[in-house]
Amino acid sequence: MIESPIARIRDLSVEYRLRTGFLGLKPTQTVKAVSQVSFDLRKGEILGLVGESGCGKSSLGKAIIRLIEPTGGHIEINGLDFLGLSGRQLRAHRSAVQMVFQDPYASLDPRMTVHDILAEPLHAHGKRSRKEISDKIHQTMNLVGLPTRHLRRYPHEFSGGQRQRVAIARALILDPLVVIADEPVSSLDVSVQAQILNLMRDIQRELQISMIFISHNLAVVKYLADRIAVMYLGKIVELGTRDQLFANPLHPYTQALLSAVPIPDPQKERARSHIALKGELPSPVNPPTGCAFHTRCPLVFDRCKAESPVLAGNGPSTVEAPARTVSCFAVKP
Amino acid sequence: MSTPVLEVRNLKAHFFTRRGVIPAVDDVSFEVREGETLGIVGESGSGKTVTQLSYLRLLPEPPLRILGGQAILEGHHDLLQLSPKKMRAIRGHKISMIFQEPMTSLNPYLTIGTQLCEPLQVHLRMDRKQATKEAIAAMERVGLADAEAALKRYPHEFSGGMRQRAMIAMALTTRPRLLIADEPTTALDVTVQAQILKLLKDIQKETGMAIVFITHDLGVVASVADKVAVMYAGHVMERGSVDQIFYETQNPYTHALLQSTPRIDLSQGKLPAIGGTPPDLSRLGAGCPFVDRCVHHRDACSRVLPELKWFPPDHESLCHLEGLPV
Repeated sequence: MIESPIARIRDLSVEYRLRTGFLGLKPTQTVKAVSQVSFDLRKGEILGLVGESGCGKSSLGKAIIRLIEPTGGHIEINGLDFLGLSGRQLRAHRSAVQMVFQDPYASLDPRMTVHDILAEPLHAHGKRSRKEISDKIHQTMNLVGLPTRHLRRYPHEFSGGQRQRVAIARALILDPLVVIADEPVSSLDVSVQAQILNLMRDIQRELQISMIFISHNLAVVKYLADRIAVMYLGKIVELGTRDQLFANPLHPYTQALLSAVPIPDPQKERARSHIALKGELPSPVNPPTGCAFHTRCPLVFDRCKAESPVLAGNGPSTVEAPARTVSCFAVKP
Repeated sequence: MSTPVLEVRNLKAHFFTRRGVIPAVDDVSFEVREGETLGIVGESGSGKTVTQLSYLRLLPEPPLRILGGQAILEGHHDLLQLSPKKMRAIRGHKISMIFQEPMTSLNPYLTIGTQLCEPLQVHLRMDRKQATKEAIAAMERVGLADAEAALKRYPHEFSGGMRQRAMIAMALTTRPRLLIADEPTTALDVTVQAQILKLLKDIQKETGMAIVFITHDLGVVASVADKVAVMYAGHVMERGSVDQIFYETQNPYTHALLQSTPRIDLSQGKLPAIGGTPPDLSRLGAGCPFVDRCVHHRDACSRVLPELKWFPPDHESLCHLEGLPV
């Protein structure tokens, strides 16, 4: 199953410049939203990216699709240097990576019909014949479970769940190799959320697409993802298979995060003890020295304040024993 | 048993709009006692917030009209019969409310201190100096460091978690008997949510106030509630102790909601999603509001609204079925 990865991300960084002071006249500060992140996305897997607000998970997703330009690092998609592309070449290869956004109310043009929303990427990427386009649109509508009689409708005529189906259809219509889904079910109610999660799971299995699924909701990620990366202040602090991560979280932040998720079972809740994190998330403008988590970590010792740990694994990854990596001086994978 | 801090009986409140009547709250009953937390669960548009706002008289009437019912505070005042002036004396004093997004419910132009002191000056007729002293105590109680300096700051200078703490401090300064918390942790990260939930529980233990906790998150309900009311399309579908709701579920909607929730403590196969979408309230039929999405529905369900079925001693379900089929 493990062949060469479909996407290779190496030392990827995203920095934002902040203008401060009156009229932005003070010297600019930079915020490191994503700081030298590396991971592989395997063919046909769903990689969950979790973390709290401001951890850089959305910036990372947008940088991979080059909606924001990374300030450093490498992205390789299907063996191709994706960051090295520009102009016509970039346009030609961009269809390989597609995105589904959180809010289907904001990400679909209210003045376009579903048909036009789905046809636009096909036109932009040079599929010619009318029949070809129409066939592809019908096929994709079927795939996401929308009746084709809805093609002449506008986004506002749909419910939130149906709109998200349209957004998923738009992402799939160019047969991408990689789909990046950024909180695709967060604005939906529980009863509709389950429909969309099932849809994404079915489609991913049917088409064997590789997916990066970004969410703050650990239960949702657990349901979908094969492997999970946990982010804190711009860095991946732990990466492992779903079962490794949930059965035996290693990084103290992962442990705190899991213990904070309320479980819909009153007896279990009464019996649980929560790991309380001290204080607040530090500002990414002025991140702590050493390990970014040291200001709130229950296991902190001197070294954590001075040195920055790297994501280290327990050896090469095989099918039987997939690698798990953790970035912490106090625990070893 | 003690008298309930709040007892809402058969509350009916509809919006009368140009597009028709929207039965947002239809025959809703619940009660909450001292030291108790009632969780109100439901999806968006189910009426959980409108129910609270309607008996608190916080919604413009018209378009809202209260068509019937009672909301009895501490055994004697019926809130639906009180004058606006008397209602103002109760809101922010005996009953306080906290909201989902503290940024939109705090005034950006006023310092936290001014906003914290206001209820004390208005309701308890304290002077500013006394009020400031109380406000500092309240800020310390909710765990805001350096309370004195914090009072001089504006809401935008606080993080989301700190703002919610300030909101809670403000709601608690007048020592209310009832706190209505409307999705107070929905906009927060899970680790901050855990802190805020613990804070609310600690304060409740100390003061014995009753809490009505509105949420769509079944995990949060399991963690905070003693009793639960499950709402759907303006109706209370099921009501009981938190254990009854989770372990002796009687209503098909509650059951479907529990089943379709992804969770971190179980490995789940395909999620049994609820088909369809919540109904348009202005076009509800005569039958059960959940009929179109219910896997157990029968003929009667689309024709007749079921009556509340009682499972002694204190568990109720709005359904034609005799309990949930296994």
